Amino acid sequence: MTPALQVEGLGKIYGPGGAADVAGTGPDHGRVVSPSSGGVVAAWDVSFSVGAGEALGIIGESGSGKSTVLRCICGDETPTAGSIRLACVDGGGRDLTELGASARRALRIDRLAVVYQDPAEGLDLRLSAGGNVAERLTAAGWRNFGGIRSRAAELMRRTDVPLDRMDDPVKEFSGGMRQRVQLAKALANNPPVVLLDEPTTGLDASVAAAVLDLIRDLLDELGVAAVVVSHDFSVIELLTQRALVMQHGRVVEAGLTDQLLEDPQHPYSQRLVGAARG
Amino acid sequence: MAERSEPVLQVRDLHKSFVLHAIGGRRIEALRGIDLELYPGEHVALVGSSGAGKSTLLKSIYRTYLPDRGEVWLRPDGRDPVDLLSLDERSLAARRVREIGYVSQFLRSEPRRGVLDSVTRAGRRRGLTPDDAAEAARRMLQRLGIGEALWGTFPTLLSGGEKQRVNLAAGIICPPPVLLLDEPISALDPANRDAVLELIAELTDGGTSVLAVFHDLAAIERLADRVIRLDGGRVASVGRPTDILTELTASIGAHR
Repeated sequence: MTPALQVEGLGKIYGPGGAADVAGTGPDHGRVVSPSSGGVVAAWDVSFSVGAGEALGIIGESGSGKSTVLRCICGDETPTAGSIRLACVDGGGRDLTELGASARRALRIDRLAVVYQDPAEGLDLRLSAGGNVAERLTAAGWRNFGGIRSRAAELMRRTDVPLDRMDDPVKEFSGGMRQRVQLAKALANNPPVVLLDEPTTGLDASVAAAVLDLIRDLLDELGVAAVVVSHDFSVIELLTQRALVMQHGRVVEAGLTDQLLEDPQHPYSQRLVGAARG
Repeated sequence: MAERSEPVLQVRDLHKSFVLHAIGGRRIEALRGIDLELYPGEHVALVGSSGAGKSTLLKSIYRTYLPDRGEVWLRPDGRDPVDLLSLDERSLAARRVREIGYVSQFLRSEPRRGVLDSVTRAGRRRGLTPDDAAEAARRMLQRLGIGEALWGTFPTLLSGGEKQRVNLAAGIICPPPVLLLDEPISALDPANRDAVLELIAELTDGGTSVLAVFHDLAAIERLADRVIRLDGGRVASVGRPTDILTELTASIGAHR
C-alpha cells in the first residue's frame, strides 16, 4: 500500500553550487556550509514515509534542518533534490516537486495542511477566527453561508475555542488560542496529511501542555498521517511512534521513538537525550 | 501449559551491548547470547542478581533497546512466525499494539489524561469498541482496587502503588498473546499485591503467555511454570520454580 506521505532523498541547498556543495558538510564535518562555495546545505538525503494514523517525529537542535524538510514538503521551499509523494495525489504516482506553484498551493487546501510555530504564518491575524476557517472552506468550494458557519463552529468546538469569540479578530487572541485557531483552520477540509512545525514552542508551559493534549487527541481521532518537528523530546515522545534525529542537515538516526529515547545509538542522539533527561 | 505446541516466542542468540559515546565509547556487554522459548499460556519468570540482564532482555525483545544481533521469533495465534528484530519500524509498532505488550515498573501512562480515559484508550487501541473498552477498563480498575473516585484524576496525582496498578490495567486490558512484565508489583502493599497476582494468574489461564521479572520470590513460586536464571548476560539455568529458587538462594549465600 502506498504510504500517505513518502519522501525520498530530499535535499535543500542555498547557494550557487548545487549538489557539488554537499562535499565537506554534514555531521562528520560538523558544518552545513560548503567549504568550497559557501553554499548552505540545509538538508540532504532525507528519506522517510508516514502511513495513515501514524505520526513521525523529526528532532534536532535549531539549524539541524528539520524545519527545512517540512517547508520543502509543504511547498514553502523548493527542494534541490529528491521526491515527495502523497497517496492522495495520483495514488503516489506523482512527484510533487514536478508540480507548478499553483498546483502545489492547491494541495494546501485539502490534502496537505501545515501548523506553524508562529500562528501569523498560518493565519490572517486581521480576520476573525471564523473568517480564517471560512477562507479555507471557501477555497475548497464551500459556498453556503450557513454550512460554512456551522462547520466553522464545529471546528472551534473541537479545538476548544470559545464560540462567543468566533467573530473576534485573531490578533486579539492569546498565543495559545491563536494556535487552536490555526489547528481548526488546518483541519477544516480533513486533510490526510498534517505537518506540525514546533506547534507548542514559545507558549507558556501550561498553555503548551493544553495545546499538546489537543493535538494528541486530534491525531488519535482523525487518523491522519502527521509529521511533527520539534527540538523538545517530550513533544516527540507524547505525539509520535517513530522519529528521526537530524544534525547538520542529515538524518543521523531513525527508529521507534521509545528506542531513540531509551537506547540512542548515535553520539549526537545520546547527547540530545542526555541533555533532555538530565 | 502445553509444552508440546510451538513456542509463541523464541529468542535465539540475542546479544545487546551499550556504547557510551560520552565516556570515550565505552562498551558494556549486557546480553551475551540468550536463548529461550515461551509456550502458549506459559508463565516464565526471569531471575538473577541486579545487572544480570533481566530488564535488558525484556526491553531487547520489545526493541525498546536495539539488540546487536540475534533473533526474536513471535508466533501469535499459530500464524507464521515473524522475527521482530528484522521488522521495519512501522510493522513493529503495529505488532506492539495487538501481539506483544510490555508493562514497565514505572508509570508510562500519558500525562494529563484521566485514569479511566487512559485505560479505556489502551483497550481501544487493542481493537475493543468504545463501549467494550470503557466497560473492560472499569472492571479492570475495580479489580485492581482503584476506586471510582480516582477515575477522573490524572495519574500524576496518584500514589506510587496506584500509578503502578493503573499502568498494569492499561497494559493488560484486552491482553495481547505475549506479555512482558518488568517488575509490575514492586510498589504494592500486600493486599493489592495479591489482587495483581490473581489477575496475572488469570492471564495465563486465558492463554496469554507471560515473560516476567519479579523480585518477589513468593510471587514467582505462585505464578511461574518455569524459571530462567540469568547471570552476566547469559542463561545460567532453567528449571522448575522450586529448583531454581533453591539454587538462587544458595548462590546468594555463596557470595556472602
